[in-house]
Amino acid sequence: MLRKRLIFTLIYNDGFFTQSRNFRLQKVGDLSWLEKNYGFKDLAFSLDELVILDASRESKDIVGFADTLSKLAEDVFIPICAGGGVRCMEDAEVLFENGADKIILNTIIYENKDLVTRLIKKYGSQSIVASVDYKKNDVFIKDGTQIIDMKLHDYMDYIDSLGVGEVYLNAMENDGTGFGYDLETAKKIAKNISMPLIVAGGAGNEKHLIKGLMTDHIDAVATANLFNFIGNGLPDARRGIIFNNGNIAQWQ
Amino acid sequence: MKITIVDYGMGNIKSIIGALKYLEVEEITVSNNLSELMSADKLILPGVGSFSMAMSNIKKLNIDKYLRETVIVDKKPILGICLGMQLMGDSSTEDSYSDGLGFIKGAVSKFSESSLKIPHMGFNQVNINNNSKLFKGLNNLSDFYFVHSFRMASDTNINQSTCTYNGEFIASYEQDNIAGVQFHPELSQTNGLKLLSNFITSF
Repeated sequence: MLRKRLIFTLIYNDGFFTQSRNFRLQKVGDLSWLEKNYGFKDLAFSLDELVILDASRESKDIVGFADTLSKLAEDVFIPICAGGGVRCMEDAEVLFENGADKIILNTIIYENKDLVTRLIKKYGSQSIVASVDYKKNDVFIKDGTQIIDMKLHDYMDYIDSLGVGEVYLNAMENDGTGFGYDLETAKKIAKNISMPLIVAGGAGNEKHLIKGLMTDHIDAVATANLFNFIGNGLPDARRGIIFNNGNIAQWQ
Repeated sequence: MKITIVDYGMGNIKSIIGALKYLEVEEITVSNNLSELMSADKLILPGVGSFSMAMSNIKKLNIDKYLRETVIVDKKPILGICLGMQLMGDSSTEDSYSDGLGFIKGAVSKFSESSLKIPHMGFNQVNINNNSKLFKGLNNLSDFYFVHSFRMASDTNINQSTCTYNGEFIASYEQDNIAGVQFHPELSQTNGLKLLSNFITSF
């Protein structure tokens, strides 16, 4: 049986990992700090997939980001999806060459359909994830700073027609609150699209992750909440999902 | 122990290298040079991408001849991963028809149309063959990470283990020194590390 997935999202900002709260970033530490304080390599054994996003707003330093990605790729034994600021074929190539199994796209999904099509042709639809930041019925691009002229449901239809592998749906209002996912919106969308759906934004404890994974048509849950899930949070969440007969992979 | 990853320019090998390092393999190289392949204890044939493009790269670099020499004549153990597993079969219908390396009796074709999503992507359970050396110590129906749109079938006994997704397909085969897995052990957590460790110690 094909399993649902538990995903952790690391947000990278100018050399540091950060905690995001309603899209405001708070620096936490770099990769060695993350390893030293949180034993990230061990934590990764509770995950099905890792997303790493470059949210650097001052200047995008793709070389520094790629270096961090490359180190992570050798240390974790799960698929890695990388992105944040991909604007051309070369950006994607750097990420794939440095260990990304998939790339996640946001702004260019809206602004450059032709590039998305070329990326799908070169790397395959399974390697391309569309990230959608939304607030109620509005969709935002450029790290949540610019509203677009399509409403959420029309935008999802548009993405469905592009042929990307899956969608990462991030509720901006719930982001970093720890109050739980916006499952109502996710459920409505899941019924209308043919791609797998990842829900993100708002998970604060293991119950939120379990509730998300127990929801029909939702294929994966993601959290970027370092503070709430570091320590025993992720292993406990995984055990809780299995205990509740959630459809998730089990390792020996 | 020296393991050489066969380089034909396709596939994400970072995680494979990471997994082999984790398993404390002394020497890990990436090469398409005959003497390098000959000096390895074991080979890994990786791969992501199109079958026909991979075969054309392999032929251009003479890797088909080198593999015949090392794997068929010299009986060096080899593990094919994902596309690498498919390439050791007879043929594939991806991008029209292409011949494979022909080490294993098996033909690759696309998942037939159904309501299920293609590619088959994510962790799925493997029906493990009781005679398997690769899965030794792993429970039946253990989870492994798959990502593929084409899959192998065979009418011969190639010691296959299977997976079910819109019907049954070959998740792995093991024949003498030749093994292949459709899934990615390097992306399959402790289950995948155990399988790689079995390949290293039992082949």
